[in-house]
Amino acid sequence: MSKGNRDRKAAQARRIVEQQKAADKRRKVTIWTTVAVFAVLIVAGGIGWGVLANQDKKTEASQVTTPSVAVDEGTAFAVGSGPVTVDLYEDFMCPICNEFEQQTGSTIDKMVTDKRITVRYHPVAILDEASNGTKYSTRSAGAAAAAAQDGKFTEYHKVLYANQPEEGSDGLTDAKLIELGKSVGLGTTFEAAVNDKTYDNWATKVTETFASRGYNGTPTIVVNGKQVEGPNNTLPTTAVFEQAVQAAEG
Amino acid sequence: MDLKQQQPTRLTAAWPWISTLARLGLAAVFLISGGLKVTDLAASGRAVNAYDLMSWETAKVVGAVQPFLEIALGLLLLIGIATRLSAAIAAVVLVIFIGGIVSAWARGLQIDCGCFSKGGELTGGRTAQYGLDIARDVGFLVLAGILLWKPRTRFSLDGLLLGER
Repeated sequence: MSKGNRDRKAAQARRIVEQQKAADKRRKVTIWTTVAVFAVLIVAGGIGWGVLANQDKKTEASQVTTPSVAVDEGTAFAVGSGPVTVDLYEDFMCPICNEFEQQTGSTIDKMVTDKRITVRYHPVAILDEASNGTKYSTRSAGAAAAAAQDGKFTEYHKVLYANQPEEGSDGLTDAKLIELGKSVGLGTTFEAAVNDKTYDNWATKVTETFASRGYNGTPTIVVNGKQVEGPNNTLPTTAVFEQAVQAAEG
Repeated sequence: MDLKQQQPTRLTAAWPWISTLARLGLAAVFLISGGLKVTDLAASGRAVNAYDLMSWETAKVVGAVQPFLEIALGLLLLIGIATRLSAAIAAVVLVIFIGGIVSAWARGLQIDCGCFSKGGELTGGRTAQYGLDIARDVGFLVLAGILLWKPRTRFSLDGLLLGER
């Protein structure tokens, strides 16, 4: 064997060993990075699960103060005594809810007075993110529960809409919520309940019930179990709402 | 110089850079969409529930877990670890999202897809723009496809571990 030939063979062998080493390294890196990816995803999923479990504790029965006057599994306040049930799911931060109140509120009041309908108001909190972290939706729903407990739900409901803060603002302060309560004749129990956030977890619970019933947006208007909407999921006009009530009356 | 031979080499040299852009772009997509949802898990659960594809209890869990998975996937892509695998997972996730939107569209649901928002039902005369949502997700799927095909990228942990420059 010539020297040149032997050198070539040795170089070839070295190259093969290097290639194998590189392939080995590649395989090891692939295995470990794969393990790492799945580990990271499992941990992340576990964190989500844990945070949810922690949040769910808020709505456990022992953590929720349900106003004794609440109806419908303790999630709503009934106004009126008519045969047709109207369920109104609304968020006090929601401008369209206010629009519905301005547009159809007086019609609803009249139907209540005429003993045609029973309105069940469900104050839900789906717009907590729209008040710069002050959770106005939850706070206002909790305050409404405190007002209901002291027999002034309808009055407080109206005054909350009349003073509705702009979506995306800080919302009304607790002090302002209390001031509005006093303006409709609510007293110190109401004030204490707002300051102690007595009914805030209850508001979360109401929101859960709302979602579990398959509703997503506010206002959701349900007449005798049937959702009432305008064309293309828009807000129903007063006429559409009246027709729905008439249909339910049979 | 023969241009025909030079062009492929230029493209070969460019691929790691193209892939790097795809990787960072996809990372941003997942980090942003996860980050927007993680601050309100209850809302995220309601957005999942709006698709009406699973029970409320399941939707709640999916809604809570999903933002964390999205952020984790975004971070994995950002640091560039097991890029091909991460891209494959991203592609699977995107296909599931597209499937969800198509199904909502087919059933005539009027919901916000919740892609870069809390989602939920649309109100006040806003109409769903499913076509646009799908087109956007397909765009992201293309980024994942680039990474599946050419997973070598610059500034990646993969490259560091393999001793590439």
